[in-house]
Amino acid sequence: MKRVAASGLAAATLLVAVSAVASLPTLAPKPPPALALDLPAPPAPVRPRRVASLNLCTDELALLLAAPGQLVSISRLGAEPRETPVATRARGLARNRGRVTDIVALQPDLVLTSAGDASAATAARRLGFAVVNVVQPRSLAEVSANIRQVARALDRAAAGEALIARMLADLGPRPSAPVPALIIGGGGQTIAADGLSAQWLRHAGLQQQRVTRGQVDLERLLSDPPQVLVISRYYPGQMSANQNWLAHPAIAALPAAVQRIETDGRVWTCGGPLVAAEVARLRALVRR
Amino acid sequence: MTRLPAVLALALLPLVLASLFWDPAMLRAVAERDPALARTILMELRLPRTALAVLIGGALGLGGAAMQGLLRNALASPDVLGPSTGASLGAVFAGYFLGGGVLAVAAGGMAGALVALALLLALAGPAAGTATLVLAGVAISALAGALVNLALSLAPSPYALYDVMFWLLGSLADRSLPQLGIAAPIILVAGALLLRQARSLDSLALGEDVAETLGVDVARLRWTVVVATGVMVGAGVAVAGSIGFVGLVVPHLVRPLVGNRPGATLLPAMLAGAVLLVAADMAVRVPVNGQELKLGVLTALLGAPFFLWLVVKGR
Repeated sequence: MKRVAASGLAAATLLVAVSAVASLPTLAPKPPPALALDLPAPPAPVRPRRVASLNLCTDELALLLAAPGQLVSISRLGAEPRETPVATRARGLARNRGRVTDIVALQPDLVLTSAGDASAATAARRLGFAVVNVVQPRSLAEVSANIRQVARALDRAAAGEALIARMLADLGPRPSAPVPALIIGGGGQTIAADGLSAQWLRHAGLQQQRVTRGQVDLERLLSDPPQVLVISRYYPGQMSANQNWLAHPAIAALPAAVQRIETDGRVWTCGGPLVAAEVARLRALVRR
Repeated sequence: MTRLPAVLALALLPLVLASLFWDPAMLRAVAERDPALARTILMELRLPRTALAVLIGGALGLGGAAMQGLLRNALASPDVLGPSTGASLGAVFAGYFLGGGVLAVAAGGMAGALVALALLLALAGPAAGTATLVLAGVAISALAGALVNLALSLAPSPYALYDVMFWLLGSLADRSLPQLGIAAPIILVAGALLLRQARSLDSLALGEDVAETLGVDVARLRWTVVVATGVMVGAGVAVAGSIGFVGLVVPHLVRPLVGNRPGATLLPAMLAGAVLLVAADMAVRVPVNGQELKLGVLTALLGAPFFLWLVVKGR
């Protein structure tokens, strides 16, 4: 039973993440001044002591920002080391399946939800919980805004500013003259050329090639190879048709001039502050 | 009558060439820039894709014709009666839960197809009426399909739900030479074995007793057809997923042309299956509304109306 829920949730989150990336170009409203709208009361200086997070992406922010003992529950994915590098910080926390019913008994004084799952925020508010609903970021500015929003809600503004400073230091200036690149995951899944992940890649000196439908087939890859191929490793070694695709001999047969770099697929799911260190690592590897 | 296979083989040749050299402008452009890369596209991508379309299309057509001959039933075929979906289930189980490689997935596919066929024969009996056979087959097919869905929902991989589409609708995109290397010998050997049953199947059309007096070992014939069909379909499904309706439709297209003899249907059904699948696999490469169709969607779009027509004609 546990595995059913976890893997179903994993796939659902993945779908949300992928579709959010894919639909980026069409949506471009301004980032909401979310805190003021989302908290029922004006931001109280009282530090919440029992915080529950219902989504992998809010788990990551909460695990990075919360003071020791401030969190009581995170989602299963947030505690899964194959999903996020910060899972090691989740030791001892109760795990939920991303549903409000899972955390009611814990009586949290703050619930973190992702705007990708609107029903969770609505249900939590109806039950009288204070809710911070975090949007899927569409730009690096929105990543910072999300950090500030969660940090203020946790009464950890200083930790938020420190995280943003660390992130910006890792990112560094955007290298000029980026190299044409393609980031691919299992099954040839890739990202929009103007989405958030592409903006992160741009800081590694890589310009994501334009691809239709968020997926490349091998013929497309071979007929117009990028200068750098970034291969995203996510659940490596696990059987699936999509994973097998990455082992196709045609990828190994790409010209030697195509630089192949592996990246940690986990950080790209949410595209949050964890990407920054990975971007710094990639930037050091890219041949120009 | 004997000209039909020759005509079909002649039709297959240009289709195979068209599939290999699909989008020649792109190939030429790549070849001018980097000849080695163009060769990789041809050898590592086009060759396995086209060869698998020929082999699996042939296997489905031949398997359908053999099952229809053996069961003396016009609705028998690997995709309607369960072996195809059973093969998907076996392959999924071997790959996702036993952690098997390409060989284990192929073995799982074959085992799944054989179990589905054995279950079908146990439920419906060797010469069951149409209603019993189709009910049993549809039930097995639906059960196996549901189990594929369940298995992939339980699989630990976050990609697993994407894979449901592959295993239930099939695809020949981005197949590799090693996959061809596994499927080809199995399909060729089992196919040759099936083709040799032509005369026995013709005798069986006259009834089991008559066939026995004509010297046909009916029990042995039944086992040969079942095992060869299951192995062939299983090997195909393990590399390309479950592709529907080819096995059902193709024998009907060629049977009137060979005087309705089940044995004489085998070879032309095999060739026509190959022609149909190579053509369908080219059609899915043409984007519709910016999207590429799944192979199984296209064959079902062609095959399902034909199925309906069979029903109307049979009323």
